[in-house]
Amino acid sequence: MKICILGFGSVGQGVARVFSMKRDIIKQEYGLDLKLVAAADRSGAAIDPDGLDTDLLLNTKKDTGKISEYPKHGVKGISGMEVLDEVDYDCLIEVTPTNIEDAEPARSHILKAMKDGKNVVTSNKGPLALSFKELAHTAALNKVQFKYEASVGGAMPIINFAHETLSGCKIESIYGILNGTTNYILSRMAKEGSSYDQTLNEAQEMGIAETDPTQDVEGEDAACKVVILANSILNMDVTYDDVEVKGISQITPESITLAKKEGYLIKLIGEVSPDSLEVSPRLVKEGSPFAVEGTLNVATLKTDLADEVTVVGKGAGSVETASAILSDIISIWKMK
Amino acid sequence: MRLNLVLELLDVPGQLLDALNPIGRLGANIVAVIHQRDVKTERGTIPVQITIEGDKQTLNQVLKVLEDDGIQIMQVDGIVRKEKITTIMVGNIVDQDLKDTVNLLNKVEGVMVADLDLKISDNPEKSASRIMFEAELGRKKEAMAKIKEIGKQKGFLVINEV
Repeated sequence: MKICILGFGSVGQGVARVFSMKRDIIKQEYGLDLKLVAAADRSGAAIDPDGLDTDLLLNTKKDTGKISEYPKHGVKGISGMEVLDEVDYDCLIEVTPTNIEDAEPARSHILKAMKDGKNVVTSNKGPLALSFKELAHTAALNKVQFKYEASVGGAMPIINFAHETLSGCKIESIYGILNGTTNYILSRMAKEGSSYDQTLNEAQEMGIAETDPTQDVEGEDAACKVVILANSILNMDVTYDDVEVKGISQITPESITLAKKEGYLIKLIGEVSPDSLEVSPRLVKEGSPFAVEGTLNVATLKTDLADEVTVVGKGAGSVETASAILSDIISIWKMK
Repeated sequence: MRLNLVLELLDVPGQLLDALNPIGRLGANIVAVIHQRDVKTERGTIPVQITIEGDKQTLNQVLKVLEDDGIQIMQVDGIVRKEKITTIMVGNIVDQDLKDTVNLLNKVEGVMVADLDLKISDNPEKSASRIMFEAELGRKKEAMAKIKEIGKQKGFLVINEV
């Protein structure tokens, strides 16, 4: 399978690393030959129809910060759209940064690939949260596969899990901790009794929270995931604006202390149900499935036949997220 | 037929009598009353177990009159009639007139404020209160939405249960 990666940040590099680690085993087990024919970042691209050397690609990015410096096959200044025109590939991996204003350039990349008859795997929440219907429709129209397991919960299986493993069940609602950064902050505040600002600083120093933490702490990232789950698992037709969003920046040590006295913890919970789409701080019982610590994500799916099923996993991380992308690629291969 | 009730009474004189009076008046028999004043709930109220006897219609009438009189019936024949709801509100709780907040909350149908705990912060905007409600069975979800609305009107961050 000839693969093209657009976006070479943490997730894109994770995919390259996973290819290096797993290429031989995947060839052996599934007869799938993963050939990375193009990878692009802001600087341009590296393109080789015979397949790029993923280790060399990672080193080039590490040493120079630019993928276009890749020996012999580097192309400076070429855009993502141009790469898609230039390169002969079977599957696009769209992992450019999430943009929740207008979903670009990811939305255009994905639509173009689909219209050209290519399968698409993405972890990008922007286009999924803003244009899900358009993308799903375009994929169906062009008879291509469209997979996005990595967009919700990183390594935590949920979308394919609901579609395939729980395929006989109707999913009635989903409640979950869908953002690792806020879970880390709230867990630390509960443990140390520290203030919100102090804990956010600590998280930023550790690289868990970003310099501009707005998307995480104000619940925007979790809200995107709520939209993706609502559309893809509960078959709703909703977009980002349909979600009621409240973040964690107003949470105080006092409120956490009061909650603890009654055996509760405060967590940022995403709720996906036909009557309510919401991201807000909620009280969860200590010892309940939601009482997970650190950057872990968790989701409980309420089903008609199996009652409640809960999944837990790492919600972020380069290789962890790439694991979900790899499983999407393998499942596309199996469906051929 | 017989009915086993668990009532929750305030620890003040005359409460038990007020609860028993309508039972006899309506023609039901009191078979047993277990009343231990030194056993209290976490809210400081006293649970009282009462077994009454009578025809179905009379017993239903008794339940209705007790409820109308504001007596908390916690269980009927072992079935819990009230659910607890815990909510935390963050904001300037004292400035926003605590009494008025409680009154508004008590006006929500099927809900009573049962306990309230305050933690005042150095920055009054960041004070927190934990409010425990008793809600009629099956009304929890609806009540939580209304509680949230009242908190929002007052400018509080409302943290409800999942």
